[in-house]
Amino acid sequence: MLTPAELVWLIAAVAKGDEAAFERLYAATRAKLFGVVLRILRRQDLAEEVIQETYVKIWNGAGQFNPGLSSPITWMASIARNRAIDVVRKRGELSIEEEPAAMEVAADSPDPLARREMSEELKRLLECVGRLEPDRQKLVLLAYYNGWSREQLAAKFETPVNTVKTWLRRSMMDIRECLGL
Amino acid sequence: MMAFSEDDIALAAEYALGTLDADERAEAEAKMSIDKDFAAMVEAWQHKLGVLNQMVGSVEPRPEVWNKIKSAISLSEAQAALVLPETPRPVASEALEPPAVADTSNVVRLSAQARRWRNVATFATAIAAALIAVIAVGVYQPDLLPGAIRPKPRTQVVEVKTPSAPTPRSAQYVAVLQKEGGSPAFILTVDAATRNFTVRKVGAAAEPGKSFELWLISDKLPRPRSLGVIGNGDFTARPVLASYDSDVINNATYAVTVEQAGGSADGVPHSAPVFTGKLIETVPPAAPAR
Repeated sequence: MLTPAELVWLIAAVAKGDEAAFERLYAATRAKLFGVVLRILRRQDLAEEVIQETYVKIWNGAGQFNPGLSSPITWMASIARNRAIDVVRKRGELSIEEEPAAMEVAADSPDPLARREMSEELKRLLECVGRLEPDRQKLVLLAYYNGWSREQLAAKFETPVNTVKTWLRRSMMDIRECLGL
Repeated sequence: MMAFSEDDIALAAEYALGTLDADERAEAEAKMSIDKDFAAMVEAWQHKLGVLNQMVGSVEPRPEVWNKIKSAISLSEAQAALVLPETPRPVASEALEPPAVADTSNVVRLSAQARRWRNVATFATAIAAALIAVIAVGVYQPDLLPGAIRPKPRTQVVEVKTPSAPTPRSAQYVAVLQKEGGSPAFILTVDAATRNFTVRKVGAAAEPGKSFELWLISDKLPRPRSLGVIGNGDFTARPVLASYDSDVINNATYAVTVEQAGGSADGVPHSAPVFTGKLIETVPPAAPAR
């Protein structure tokens, strides 16, 4: 993995139409972005489509990357993740029951990182998430990592959708306050 | 930053979290396209939550994916070529070989810097452009400013004077290199005729044992070129741009990195760009001397 600084230089070059830089950027980031969207889409073919669209968007939009607002990888992953979520929402939800194999992946927790491998920002966010009630911690993380809708979350937690809605909102407000956003 | 209703805040947060349904996502996206502050709030959430992706395992996509991306891109390239017949020639692939920073201490330092840098809210581009315009007019033609925004002693950025050229006749270019918190850190002025540049330091000081180094990044050049270390004085003037042609100078991105004292020893940058900016023409060549 390249350092954030190196990725910034690559994106700057991509913004100027440098194809070699784009190839290097792809090589350095594709597996991470694919991992992110595959978790959400749980289907290789859909995930590949989203990755294609994502990198075309990165190629065309590299000039809009604002290093003051985001890190390169977060910016790229946001593009990929937003696209993946749009796809699952528009498909009218991939039913969990339809895809038992997917359910297993979804139930996994993401790779645990040794604490020293975590960035300060991740530690801080996890600290704030950790202050939520245990059920709500899980709710937020499942929503983020698996891209689950409120309906899917409601099914998982065996609770009405409206309750999930309230929990999500309350949780995000608590995180916001904790982060000082 | 205006105050948002709790509904707006929740919409932004849940957009970033991903729990909105398709209609609500469309609503949020529409709002982002017309409301910059709302878009910035969504972006802040995406950034805050985005660190969670550090824990997601990497999965290699099949090689075909790259081929498809490449062909999709050459299609859009062909369109661009119609508009810009002289596309920049491709850069040699080894040219962007990153600096070999392998030891852990360096990586930690870099990511710490990158974090500090991306925590910062910066001006929107439009605001920066407006700021540059005000600075430029203030520097060269203060009488043109309406009374309300005419330079006052306390607005130091407006009082920038280039030491050598009080009444410039050639085109002048200014780049505001932004600093943390959104205010400018350096103001770079380039005289198009002489290609001399002046960096005015507006407040930022390098940490002890470090130097700020200025870089020129251009698609015409295989890698960032150092324009030298920025001195500790208020002004650093150098003629080094004389060796670049005006097209490169005008279209380049100027970036400041933090390097070891005295500057990068191997000619490549070692930190993320801490401050960046692009030149904007502020005084056209024919401007009457005042």
